[in-house]
Amino acid sequence: MPSSSAEVSTTTSLDEEMKKARMATAFRTILPIIGLVAIFIIFNVITNGGMVSSMSLVISQVYPIIISSMGVFFIMTMGGLDFSQGSILGLAAIVICVVSRVSLPLAIVAGIATGAGIGAINGFFYVNRKIKSFIVTICTMFLFRGLIKYLTSDSPVSGSMDLMMIDTTGLKVTLTVIILAVGFVVFRFTRFGTDLKAIGAGEKAAKFAGIRTDRMKFWVYVLSGAITGFAAFFTAIKNGSVTASGGNQLETQILIALVLGGMPISGGAKVNFLNIIVGSFMYVILQSGLNMMGISTQMNQLIQGVIFLVFVFIFADREATDVVK
Amino acid sequence: MSEKEVRLQVRNISKTFGITKALKDVSFDLYKGEIHALIGENGSGKSTLTNMLTGIYSMETGKFILDGEEVHPKDQVDANDHGISIIVQEQGTLDGLTVAENIFLGHEQRFIKGIIRNTGAMNKAANDLLKKYGFERIKANRMVDDYNFEDRKLVEIVKATYFEPKVVVVDETTTALSQEGREELYKHMRRIRDYGGTVIFISHDLDEVLNMSDTITILRDGDYIDTVDAKDVTSDDLKRLMVGREVTGNYYRSDYGEKVSDEVVLSAKNVSVPGLIDDINLDLHKGEILGIGGLSESGMHEVGKALFGASYDRTGEVVLGDGTHINDIPTAIRHSIAYTSKDRDNESVVMNQSIGDNITLPSLGKLTAFGPFISDRKKNAFANKYAKEISVKMVNINQFVSKLSGGNKQKVVLARWIGADSDILILDSPTRGIDIKVKQDIYQLMDSMRKQGKSVLMISEELMELIGMCDNILIMKDGKINGEVKRDPSVTENDLIAKMV
Repeated sequence: MPSSSAEVSTTTSLDEEMKKARMATAFRTILPIIGLVAIFIIFNVITNGGMVSSMSLVISQVYPIIISSMGVFFIMTMGGLDFSQGSILGLAAIVICVVSRVSLPLAIVAGIATGAGIGAINGFFYVNRKIKSFIVTICTMFLFRGLIKYLTSDSPVSGSMDLMMIDTTGLKVTLTVIILAVGFVVFRFTRFGTDLKAIGAGEKAAKFAGIRTDRMKFWVYVLSGAITGFAAFFTAIKNGSVTASGGNQLETQILIALVLGGMPISGGAKVNFLNIIVGSFMYVILQSGLNMMGISTQMNQLIQGVIFLVFVFIFADREATDVVK
Repeated sequence: MSEKEVRLQVRNISKTFGITKALKDVSFDLYKGEIHALIGENGSGKSTLTNMLTGIYSMETGKFILDGEEVHPKDQVDANDHGISIIVQEQGTLDGLTVAENIFLGHEQRFIKGIIRNTGAMNKAANDLLKKYGFERIKANRMVDDYNFEDRKLVEIVKATYFEPKVVVVDETTTALSQEGREELYKHMRRIRDYGGTVIFISHDLDEVLNMSDTITILRDGDYIDTVDAKDVTSDDLKRLMVGREVTGNYYRSDYGEKVSDEVVLSAKNVSVPGLIDDINLDLHKGEILGIGGLSESGMHEVGKALFGASYDRTGEVVLGDGTHINDIPTAIRHSIAYTSKDRDNESVVMNQSIGDNITLPSLGKLTAFGPFISDRKKNAFANKYAKEISVKMVNINQFVSKLSGGNKQKVVLARWIGADSDILILDSPTRGIDIKVKQDIYQLMDSMRKQGKSVLMISEELMELIGMCDNILIMKDGKINGEVKRDPSVTENDLIAKMV
């Protein structure tokens, strides 16, 4: 029967297509991991094992990036962007330093609140005033960078001496693991993750399926700000004070880290929580590896730019028709 | 037309996508001065064929011979230069350009002197054309974005036909148009035929095909089946040729005279949305299929959104039988209301997401293992159950919705709401652009839901399905309800049209 043979041919082509899709997903997951292992080995060979011996120094850079990346990961999953992360971190670190002179626990809370506040400003203009997220966050990036510069114009803002006392690897690892674990469980096993992905994959349809998209978008910006406000605590305890450049370019570092981790810029259903972890480590290893090789800062930045572009090219979800909101 | 001159010879055309054979060695002739319909179910290869002819897809094997000369257009502009144009189903005009720029897209050369484009001359030429077509209300210098879907289609008609092309493809354009827009399109199809042009007319609406065309070619699964004279066949003949077997069972509902329950499950009281609908009052009863018909611009599509709590600036009340007020979508869904949009790809399915996620989205709250934690096992079982129940054609639930045909996308949406156990279904254009087999499935589904005591509100521009399926039909005009027609075997399309215009 001709119709049955046609049936068979369409099914096989669908099977084929599914196989391709599975391959693409596997590729998207595995390539960053292979990349991570590869650059780790390459840099170790080049620096004669220098990477391994200074591993703790390398790792010490990863905490603020990996934590604030998680917030941005949520934002990017729903198709948004956030360029104000560096300024959030800087300002929150200043607040933490100032408040730490009074009380340490209060300082942490104040840092989180500062981040959440800036996130709320981003969210308000993005959701209520319907301005594209990258425009809004570039504006707040400038605005709060200006405020940071003003606050640090005479001298760096320094915190209580207790701050640097608690800068232990044990504390940082514990807090980072806890926050990532909570983030993972919530993203993977509750509606939070599914809803975010649905918004990224088709906002209107998500709304018509019952998701309160506007509310969700606003609160995710607040959440992301709060998370980065928490990450500022790590920066504060590491340095004990904040200068005008505190948190500078964090937003770019986060973006590069997430893309290196295999995250599609447009967000949606193809994101993977692993993107955050793999990407952040890959970024700091790349960064410190290039430094160890004695490559100048300018050259370092150029190389990072090229790698970033290559990865964006590889992982761009060309089927996602929506542009970044 | 006793002596027919050949216009276009389709010879041994084949096309493969991956390992799918979309067209298999298709050959037939088209003549001058005819409207030649091309019909077949989704995936039969109609659009593939015309897309190759108009340069949208590349050629593989076989050839098109136009007036004795072989043509293989590289792109749409090249096709235009050969005298071939196309009007597509979805939006075919480009945002951010003026009406005139859209009309002359790819043919701006005639207005360019040196490096300067004479915009004035171009606008004037476009305005002259619009006037000639009787579309004066569309202005050449305005952005095309300023006009609605319907008017933009009119711009496309001008764009595709002003240069008196030899062959014009009308690819499922009518499904997106209201009755008014269709009439305009028909007029120009006839005009093209009268000057000796050839129209290739693709449509799922068999009555329309029989009314409009002279010749009908049927494709099935990429195979050429037959070419027949429109006056020699009935729509049942065509269905049989398309499906390859008798279409068995009921198409629409067959019952008449059944009493509708008095129990009101959803009612709208003085519902208005500024600029769209004005003071709508209606009652939907238990087990009723209530239809809303009208021209596309009558506001009927907004009624569905308003009842689902999805309209901006709505005034008036939407109240359920138990007194609950519906003012937002989550409340509507929690109270067992389902909605499928006319704009299926943007508002119904989440395109870049899996079938499974699409089906489970509104029901995730029920699919938890403990607390707020979702159980993957329950979720997959749920998605599989309802995808199978409504027989979505798929490999598995991890397949992305963007890969599915229109009919299957609609099935995914319906599976979602059946899974959510919705008692009130607001279906806006549920069968738009869907082939006969799936249409029949959807009609049967609606009928069985009705029998289970669920209530359906069907908004449709296809008058035949309203007449065939509904207990009551409300006709809208200019944002208001303009009349009501009760279910009866004697109702005809003209009874509805009379209240629409």
